[in-house]
Amino acid sequence: MSGVFYEKFERHAHGEGLKAHSTHYCPGCGHGVVHRDIADILKELDAQDRTIFISPVGCSVFAYYYFDTGNSQAAHGRAPAVALGHKLAAPDSLVISYQGDGDLASIGLAETISIAQMGVPLTVIFINNAIYGMTGGQLAPTSLTGQKTATSPDGRGRAHGQPLKMAELIAQLDGPIYVERVALYDAKNRVKARRAIKKALQNQLEGRGYSFIEVLSECPTHLKLSPVEAEKWVQENMEPVYPLGVKKDVSATTEPWFKGPRPSYEPEEVLGLAGAEPALAEKRRTEWPAHVAKRDLSFKFAGSGGDGAQTAALLLVRAAIELGYDATHIPAYGPESRGGTSYADVHIAATEVLNPAAPEPDVLVAFNAPSLTKFAHTVVPGGTILYDSTIVTVAPTDLPAGRHILGIPFTKIAADLGKPMVKNVVALGALQSATKLLPDDALIETLAHVLKDKAAVLPLNRSAYAAGLAAVTPATV
Amino acid sequence: MTAPARPKPFLQPEYCKGCLRCVDACPKHCIEPGSEINPATGLIPVELHLDACNGCSLCMQACPEPFGLRPETERAHEDHSGRGDDFDLQDPAKLFGPKPRPSDPAADERDTVIAAPACEPLVLKGNYAAAIGALFAGCRHVFGYPITPSTEGAELMAKILPKLGGAFVQAVSETAAVNMMYGAGGAGVPCMTFTSGPGFSLMLEGVSYMIGAELPGVFVNVMRGGPGLGNLGPEQADIKLACRGLGHGNTHAIVLAPGTPQEMLDLTIDAFTLAFRYRSPVVILGDGYLGQMTGIVKLPETMLRRGKPSWSVCGDRDHRHNLISSIELLETDLEKRNEHLNRKYTAIARREQRADLYRCEDADVVIVACNTPARMAKGAVEVARAEGLKVGLFRPITLWPFPISALADLLPQTKRLIVVEAGPGQLEDELRLALSHAGFATPRIEHVRRHGGVLPSQREILNQLLGTPAASHA
Ligand SMILES: Cc1ncc(C[n+]2csc(CCOP(=O)(O)OP(=O)(O)O)c2C)c(N)n1
Ligand code: SF4
Ligand code: SF4
Ligand code: SF4
Repeated sequence: MSGVFYEKFERHAHGEGLKAHSTHYCPGCGHGVVHRDIADILKELDAQDRTIFISPVGCSVFAYYYFDTGNSQAAHGRAPAVALGHKLAAPDSLVISYQGDGDLASIGLAETISIAQMGVPLTVIFINNAIYGMTGGQLAPTSLTGQKTATSPDGRGRAHGQPLKMAELIAQLDGPIYVERVALYDAKNRVKARRAIKKALQNQLEGRGYSFIEVLSECPTHLKLSPVEAEKWVQENMEPVYPLGVKKDVSATTEPWFKGPRPSYEPEEVLGLAGAEPALAEKRRTEWPAHVAKRDLSFKFAGSGGDGAQTAALLLVRAAIELGYDATHIPAYGPESRGGTSYADVHIAATEVLNPAAPEPDVLVAFNAPSLTKFAHTVVPGGTILYDSTIVTVAPTDLPAGRHILGIPFTKIAADLGKPMVKNVVALGALQSATKLLPDDALIETLAHVLKDKAAVLPLNRSAYAAGLAAVTPATV
Repeated sequence: MTAPARPKPFLQPEYCKGCLRCVDACPKHCIEPGSEINPATGLIPVELHLDACNGCSLCMQACPEPFGLRPETERAHEDHSGRGDDFDLQDPAKLFGPKPRPSDPAADERDTVIAAPACEPLVLKGNYAAAIGALFAGCRHVFGYPITPSTEGAELMAKILPKLGGAFVQAVSETAAVNMMYGAGGAGVPCMTFTSGPGFSLMLEGVSYMIGAELPGVFVNVMRGGPGLGNLGPEQADIKLACRGLGHGNTHAIVLAPGTPQEMLDLTIDAFTLAFRYRSPVVILGDGYLGQMTGIVKLPETMLRRGKPSWSVCGDRDHRHNLISSIELLETDLEKRNEHLNRKYTAIARREQRADLYRCEDADVVIVACNTPARMAKGAVEVARAEGLKVGLFRPITLWPFPISALADLLPQTKRLIVVEAGPGQLEDELRLALSHAGFATPRIEHVRRHGGVLPSQREILNQLLGTPAASHA
């Protein structure tokens, strides 16, 4: 014990004086007994230097006064999340999440269960005293049926809910490897408690998994009993509701597995994973096509999910950037997560896209009738409208005058090639043909680049692009 | 053969609270309730009569007081060090000199700058750009909970981090995620999350704790339309929350507002630097468009590996003494801590103001806008300039602290100030507060506002500039 506790509680609120040698807990409080056990065991396991003790909110909020270990104080109920953060950041540490029943079984229930289920080696010590200590004796999730508390003055009734059996609850999860409920009311049980805590800590040290120890503990103050009576109360009233014993133990058959994250900072690896490619000495930079626009051109691709509007738009952006321009893409979807509307705004600029939205596009590529109807009138005078004439068999009669309007059977061309899906690449070919925006091969070279790991689909895409290019003839324009 | 004698207990009456757990525990009835009040504590310590004692130690195991009942073997230690039995109520600092530390305090471990090979610019979505920026800033720990329009950031991290020996955890909620950040940040490692309004709201409890405990962490909040579930469109709905409402208590943190995918990357890197420089969370406010927008992104030339800060709680001997905590029960102590935080806020406000000025040199009309609306404004500036209007764009990069110094330089020449934003005036409120704190009489401020997931369009801004406002949405 000595050595793990501060020789004097130098972080104690009362500073030096006498109190610097005694805890802030009420006489006979179970917290003190468990603190002693933990301190003894850390010494036995020679783990003091590795330990990170998480103090919760509750009477044990000041546990860091006593433990001469790394200490981290967590918000009410959040100790297991904090513990996990510490453990992942310092995988060799021994992290103890120490929590009361309000903390663990009420406000932090979601954290408690989800982190138990993750199974990462952590040790949770759960002090169940069937009442709230720190805030003055209110109902806990673990209070017994009929128990009078400050917020159940007539006794816990049906509408307060039933006592929550945390050890059983945690034990039925697959994540934890060891769950035991222990008590402190007599010497025999104190020995068992100590053994359980030690095992829970060992499991973590060996990297085997998550352990949970529920300790039936005394809060003499709010049970309004003497400490010795409180011990009897725990034995006679709590134990029947919360039976002691091992609820789950697969630690012997669980091989050590947890090594923890060991971050790498290898720049090549990071770049590779980010999808970056080595800078090319010879870059494909081209002059801005001033014949199309002075400095900026905007596009709208519109269709429904599955038309490939977003993919086509992104390809255009990528090609433009590879050619040395600036370009942006903004997707917009309807409320349906699949198969709904799917619009893309694209800008390409000689030097900098100032405004990436395309409410009044220079070019519209519409894959269906609603898209054509919706956006045709937003296209600027002199702009271009391309639509899929396989789908839109009868173009609306009120299409705006003064725009180049081209109905190209994207879908039919694609279907003739054997795969209707490539209609978006046909559309790109047609777009290129109609605007002469980029060098003729730029888009398909970009696509080849993107598809470099999928060589099989490239020939089809090449044909689709070429067919799209060829579909726009002086006659169609 | 006799068993080796086991140590009998000794009592330090001052430390005994008279709970009688030991009395109950002793099989030999060697301990009995005391009868005299201890004058130093006002409590009644037990009395020991150890004739029958066999040193079974059961009493000591029952005692909740670490220094109440201890084995005789430790008494010598007490006597030797001059503490323990002969303790009296004198100032121990004077008696024993400075407090002993368990080990020498750790020093800050330095960061390592790693050169990255040159590579082609990437074509990236804003959310991805922020994630890759974080990797360059040395972040290998990401905790999150999915929410549109920020999710791609978490998805990319989930894909990449395991391959880099890092950790991505999808928490059970944003509340859990931020507390994982509290733990990882407390261990001194760079960590981050991606979220949007409803998620950020849930994180605020944790953000307040991180500010209180002075922990670094980066929050990317890709704002969407609100309140409540709102919609997935771009809004600047959380400016107030980030600048004025980071959870309970006296809180402030640096708030950055990128405007392009490139800035999503660059400002994420800066955010980590600032988070560690000030031991504080840093918030990056994007908007729905920015998270989803794809554009050109150049990668930096160096990558960082962060050293271990001296204050971290990381489970080793050198850092054993450290404590992460935000509780300060004594009013005067909390006042001191708040004064410390306030000094930090003041230093940040002085040192970290950032703004981007576009064609402001000779502008007599100044538009104030950030995030994607600033790009619409930039487009409008260009068109209005062609019409002969002397207009410029003032784009705050830090929303807190508001870059008032740079704006102050422009004010004398400014005839019109126009705030463009996707929301009902949160940015304008920040501007007004900043003007007022800096002692400027508030000039008339015009505005162009859209809400609900709609951005002000270039045409609406232009109309305002040219004095032909369309039907007002304000
Ligand atoms: C978010 C939040 N809600 C409420 C509180 C107030 N509070 C402090 S301690 C506590 C109950 C603690 O009870 P328990 O976890 O059983 O610990 P004990 O004090 O009994 O050891 C509550 C509700 C808080 N600190 N934070
Ligand atoms: S109130 Fe109860 S739990 Fe809290 S210190 Fe006192 S006895 Fe212990
Ligand atoms: S060591 Fe055993 S016998 Fe001796 S006083 Fe303590 S409990 Fe009694
Ligand atoms: S158990 Fe400890 S605190 Fe309680 S009466 Fe005995 S010596 Fe005193």
